[in-house]
Amino acid sequence: MNALGALRDGIRRVNRAPVILAGVFLVTLLAALPFSVVLREALRASFGHSLAADEAARGVNYEWWTEFSAQASGMATTFAVSVIGFAAVLDNLSTLLDRGPRPAALIWLGLAYLVLWLFLAGGIIDRYARDRPIRSHGFFAACGAYFFRLLRLAPIMGLAYYVLFRYVHGWLFRDLYARVTRELPVERTAFLWRLGFYAVFGLLLAAANAVFDYAKVRAVVEDRRSMLGALLAGLRFVRRHAGTVATLYVLNGLLFVGVLALYAFVAPGAGQAGPVMWLGFAVSQVYLLARLWVRLIFFASEVSLFQNRLAYTGYIASPLVPMPEPAVVEQLAGSKP
Amino acid sequence: MLRFSTCAVAVLSLTLTCVYAQERTSGSVPKPRSPRNANYTIDAKLDARGRTLAGRETIAWTNIANAGTRELRFHLYYNAWRNNQSTYVKEERLGGGWSGAFELENDELAAIDVTSIKATGGAIAPVDLTKDMRFIAPDDGNGDDRTVMAVALPSAIQPGQSITLDISWTLKIPHAVDRTGAVGNYFFLGQWFPKIGVLEDGGKWNCHQFHATTEFFADYGVYDVRATVPRGWPLAATGDERERNDNADQTTTYRYYQEDVHDFAWTTSPDYLERRERFDNPGLPPVDMRLMLQPEHARQAERYFSAARAALRYYGEWFGPYPYGHLTIIDPAWQSRAGGMEYPTLFTGGTFWLSPATDFDSRDTVVHETGHQWWYGMVGSNEFEDAWLDEGINTYANARADAEAGFSSYSLVRYYFGGFVPWVFKDVHWDRVTSGDYVSGYRGSPTVDIPSTPSYEYWPANPTPITYSKTALWLHTLERALGWPTMQQVLSAYFEKWEFRHPKPADFFAVANERSGRDLTPFFDQVYRGSSTFDYGVQSVQSTPAGKDAFHNEVVVRRYGDGIFPVTVLITFSDGAQTRVAWDGGARWKLISADHATKAVSAQVDPDQILVLDTNFTNNSYTTEPQGPRAATKWAAKWMVWLEDQLLTWAFFV
Repeated sequence: MNALGALRDGIRRVNRAPVILAGVFLVTLLAALPFSVVLREALRASFGHSLAADEAARGVNYEWWTEFSAQASGMATTFAVSVIGFAAVLDNLSTLLDRGPRPAALIWLGLAYLVLWLFLAGGIIDRYARDRPIRSHGFFAACGAYFFRLLRLAPIMGLAYYVLFRYVHGWLFRDLYARVTRELPVERTAFLWRLGFYAVFGLLLAAANAVFDYAKVRAVVEDRRSMLGALLAGLRFVRRHAGTVATLYVLNGLLFVGVLALYAFVAPGAGQAGPVMWLGFAVSQVYLLARLWVRLIFFASEVSLFQNRLAYTGYIASPLVPMPEPAVVEQLAGSKP
Repeated sequence: MLRFSTCAVAVLSLTLTCVYAQERTSGSVPKPRSPRNANYTIDAKLDARGRTLAGRETIAWTNIANAGTRELRFHLYYNAWRNNQSTYVKEERLGGGWSGAFELENDELAAIDVTSIKATGGAIAPVDLTKDMRFIAPDDGNGDDRTVMAVALPSAIQPGQSITLDISWTLKIPHAVDRTGAVGNYFFLGQWFPKIGVLEDGGKWNCHQFHATTEFFADYGVYDVRATVPRGWPLAATGDERERNDNADQTTTYRYYQEDVHDFAWTTSPDYLERRERFDNPGLPPVDMRLMLQPEHARQAERYFSAARAALRYYGEWFGPYPYGHLTIIDPAWQSRAGGMEYPTLFTGGTFWLSPATDFDSRDTVVHETGHQWWYGMVGSNEFEDAWLDEGINTYANARADAEAGFSSYSLVRYYFGGFVPWVFKDVHWDRVTSGDYVSGYRGSPTVDIPSTPSYEYWPANPTPITYSKTALWLHTLERALGWPTMQQVLSAYFEKWEFRHPKPADFFAVANERSGRDLTPFFDQVYRGSSTFDYGVQSVQSTPAGKDAFHNEVVVRRYGDGIFPVTVLITFSDGAQTRVAWDGGARWKLISADHATKAVSAQVDPDQILVLDTNFTNNSYTTEPQGPRAATKWAAKWMVWLEDQLLTWAFFV
């Protein structure tokens, strides 16, 4: 199976398990919802009974906004114009790639969200590896079975990403980029340099990400207990199938870029309060759903590639955890002569 | 090779002084616009490869103060970057610097070294003063700061007497640092020559050290400058080009000349594109505009010209015509740290390679810096001590000119990915208060400094909210309170009275009181001599039945800030009727009763937003049918999408 085949198969596997997509979508929604409710309360308090709210409901009341921002603290400091439409995507990607600051509260939320993903990752990979319905108990049993293993992998992943962002990023963008552009009076050339550094950093990030993805895949599919072993196995797989792994990663990346490009055209602006706003919100949620879909395809296509290169479709070492019978059934079974 | 004639310069300077004195009496020759008491003839040669400059200048200086002096003081601004202990660096460090721990890199270290200074004519017999040079730090006593040089004289120069000085110096040009220096083959030379301070009445020198957050102050004069640069490198400078000679050593010497200015800056780079246009407007003198453009910004030339044209027109019509006949606009190189900066008859703007057509920031910068030709250039206030007199007034006027020029059709732009990739927010348009007066900057730190504090003593981390924003806001408040015609009269009278002179804050206040016909002192006490904040609000609106078809409506308005300003309260009833009640704004609260056939549905204090200084305009209104929950839901939903996207971006790592 080549990369394109793995991608197709991955898409098929994700589409055949819509509950997983719906589940992670719900998890994301629910993670954001409480904080949004808190922010809504802060905004409502700021508006109070003011007529300033009328303009803010109709479109943008920028004066009120700057007033709110001047007094905002914590998570509310992120309520900036960048939340409007596609700027949100640019803001988040740019902040990530430029190592921009985020408030501590948001970082903690992000960490909690990542732990949640780590918990779900075992179940998601297990489901895509089996490529057949496993019901919710099977899914969560897998989540539970692999969570602590993946949690052991997390410090290694965290360390690698920390080194990448803290040292490699610093070296590339603070030292090297600064050095090559030090005597450069032309912005266009500097931008090309920066794109080059983004590409280098992106490549390193993608390489680490691919290794960790396949480590997770091998940990689940091969029922590995040693995460160090899984990591080395993941690394071996990436090295031995470098071309296909890279192509698959690029194809997945293109899918991601495609989703972003589409959203850039349809992302709602400030809009009005009321039905139009909810329509815009729905469009944005569809975009988020599409992004999650792409994220899951990453997993599924990597599972597919791994299975087809080292085993066969549907192969998974561990048996499905059987769901215990209800107590009454066991009792009935026990009363039989 | 330096070409220089001390005698010729001495004759020229004495002639100028005599001409000025004669013109004041006879009126037969066009009168110099300024006292022209600090005249410079400079010959400079740039070594582009070595990033050094050798200079020689003749200063013809006349004491126009009312007392004599036995000392001369000079600014040596370039020494601000001589070491990491200068006052400039220390203040940058105190203020957080550009990147936290401020420290000059090795290639950012600069130096200006005076190798010789001689008195060559005038009231003092020719004498070598080199051994009498010493560095002083009149502002903070910092022994590591060499930005002010004092030279003792053998005898006093009395009021009306002149002296001619011959100074040689060398310059080590840094990698671009705070608006001057070099990047690649781009050179911008600002504050680059030994410059005499201002002797004030009483014989006291006003010659401050170079501070991190303030600018400059100097007397007016005539600048005749020859600059030698590599051949093929275009040069633009204060004034207009009078001569150009190619030399045998593959260099070119340009001569620029300008009368009635108090500074001189120049720039050279082989990469500049040159564009020229002419400003013609009925009732105003024409101006030849010269734009020195970075090649990557070639498509943005018209943006520069149109913004400069708007400023020349509106400032010319409102305050007085631009008299020089030429204006040079510099589009600085990327990372030149030039930003928008004013110099006489020349300024730097600034834009981005991918700057969208609807971006207002780059246009605003051009309007602002063109405007400085009036507020800084022609009205030569002291930027060290009273920065608000040029920056604040200019920010106010600049915002007004932006509004007149139709800037409200332009949109907000933010740059992502290292500041390169723009995104236009079509829903957020330019607005005079938020974008022009920078109200958000002021609201963030309304009490960080008392404006009457000498500007160089402002908290170095955050001087702009007071210097720029607060001044613009209180001038805008005055405009809305007194009306634009009165405000225009105030500013044009102030301009007319103080052009080519050095006004102080009291001079502005005097003109404002006189032209407005009111004693505005209580207002100035609050906004200038104190750090009062203004915040009025509506606390409640209540209606109770008062018989058949009648309601007793009560509105409580409050003064939350310590500043006092008379305001109007507007009450709107459910049948659409409105009533206005005046309030002197003095008490902490006021109960306003209004009987009407219907209930009051809303109340607004200062409904016309006269008091744009109000730090919280949201609480200025109260409605019984609040839209707050709807608006809050809408914006919280937008933020929620942003937050979900943020979480998904991080999900990449799992």
